[in-house]
Amino acid sequence: MIIDASAYIGHWPFRRLRYNTAEGLISLMDRNGIDKAIVSSINAVFYKNCQEGNEELAEEIEPYRDRLIPFATLNPKYIAWREDLERCVNDLGMKGLRLYPLYHRYSLLDPESRELLQEAAKRKLPVEIPVMLVDPRQHHWMDVDTQVSLNDILEAADKNLENTFIILNSKTADPVLERCKSGKPPKNIFIEMSRLTAVLNKSIQAVISCLGVEKVVFGTGIPFHYAKPALIKMEILDISEEEKEKIYWKNISKLINLS
Amino acid sequence: MKEKFRKIDVHSHVAWMTNGALKKWNTADLVEAADKLGIEKLLCSTPIIRGPSTMEMIRKCNEATYEAMKEYPDKILGYAFVDPGYFDEAIKEVERCVNELGMIGVKLYNQYRADEPVVLPLIRKTAEMQIPVLWHAGHPPSPEEALKWGQPRVSDGMHIAILAKRVPDAILINGHIGGGGDWEWSIKALRNVPNVYVDTSGSVVDEGMIEMCVRYLGAERVLFGTDLSMEAGVGKILGADLTNEQRELIFWKNIEDILRRRKT
Repeated sequence: MIIDASAYIGHWPFRRLRYNTAEGLISLMDRNGIDKAIVSSINAVFYKNCQEGNEELAEEIEPYRDRLIPFATLNPKYIAWREDLERCVNDLGMKGLRLYPLYHRYSLLDPESRELLQEAAKRKLPVEIPVMLVDPRQHHWMDVDTQVSLNDILEAADKNLENTFIILNSKTADPVLERCKSGKPPKNIFIEMSRLTAVLNKSIQAVISCLGVEKVVFGTGIPFHYAKPALIKMEILDISEEEKEKIYWKNISKLINLS
Repeated sequence: MKEKFRKIDVHSHVAWMTNGALKKWNTADLVEAADKLGIEKLLCSTPIIRGPSTMEMIRKCNEATYEAMKEYPDKILGYAFVDPGYFDEAIKEVERCVNELGMIGVKLYNQYRADEPVVLPLIRKTAEMQIPVLWHAGHPPSPEEALKWGQPRVSDGMHIAILAKRVPDAILINGHIGGGGDWEWSIKALRNVPNVYVDTSGSVVDEGMIEMCVRYLGAERVLFGTDLSMEAGVGKILGADLTNEQRELIFWKNIEDILRRRKT
């Protein structure tokens, strides 16, 4: 079984994406042997009122509920996010949050963020944070030109110990590894491995040594990215098959209470 | 790996850095990684990527590449790195590296942009020798960001296309189309210059990138590379919507054709 913790549906304004519908995503998953995927709405990143993106996502994935697991995109600085959270969880079956502090121009340490995180914790919703959607070195002139700092996520995790954070699409884990070296590994951080490496710097193995294999989850970033690079990393990763199973699906299943 | 395509990585580097230090891994690790991924050969260079480049430093870089070639003669091939601003000395260094050390081409970094006249004598020499020139390339979002990268003279596809038209028998490779710049820009810029190839290396694994290279340039002008993003490099070719014939061209046939053209 393979569960992709990092997939998306919707329109990306700065480059043509293919396979960015529910049907398209399913075809990519089938081609790559991915059984299920956590998805969120790309549109919700750009709508002022994110909730409309969440609503669209729920409609889009309805025929594929057995394979696509929706996460809500919310902006704690925008009006009525509490009602939106209720709706996403209770009516739309969303299993977690995906947050974009850079796009929505807030800090994870802001009081409003804390309130949203507290609500997420009460409902046991994991919080995914994509540190970037595309590489900032090739950003469109209207797009953000940087990425979410891992140190900011670590600080937010320290201050919100009841939450579970999943870092997506990060090419480095260095700040996390530094914390381990200083004897203070973060307890509530998970890392999605698609942009880390299994050879040369071996950052996947370094994260496993630092946080434990239970804190690493599989992801691809489809349809922004090809799925194969992440799959190849898993194929050649020098760990046991049992440990691979944890990364492929067991760890994320626990976080979203997948039966 | 389960799949068994032959692969030649046209864009790699040995472990030695220009400040004399090793990377976090050594050349044995590089070879081990290549073996895991089924990469048969690595075309390596050691460029100076920051600060001034003296001829002494340049020769040291090439010696580092040569050491790795000697250590792994069946695995590592070398590009001669030079700074075109040294004119005759740069050409002599290329001749030394190719004729005496057995290197297969030239690697240029960002000391000069490809459309600057200063590079012409060197490029004409490589055209005469029919050896490939791998050019560090990328299109930054703005000139300000090129400065922020510390690369005000980085070349993109447009600059390389200008050079290719000036020296139409040169064999030029636009390095790492997935290296972080605007790849759509460079692919479009290179559409009508048949003597320029792109290598697919870099950490960027954007879905559709390889297909666009093939659509605009033809699979015959696309070369597999990693620039040390090794799993990403292999994965994007395997993951793209290509025929197996196109994959064979990209993974190894095109570069073998290029290397057969050498007159050295």
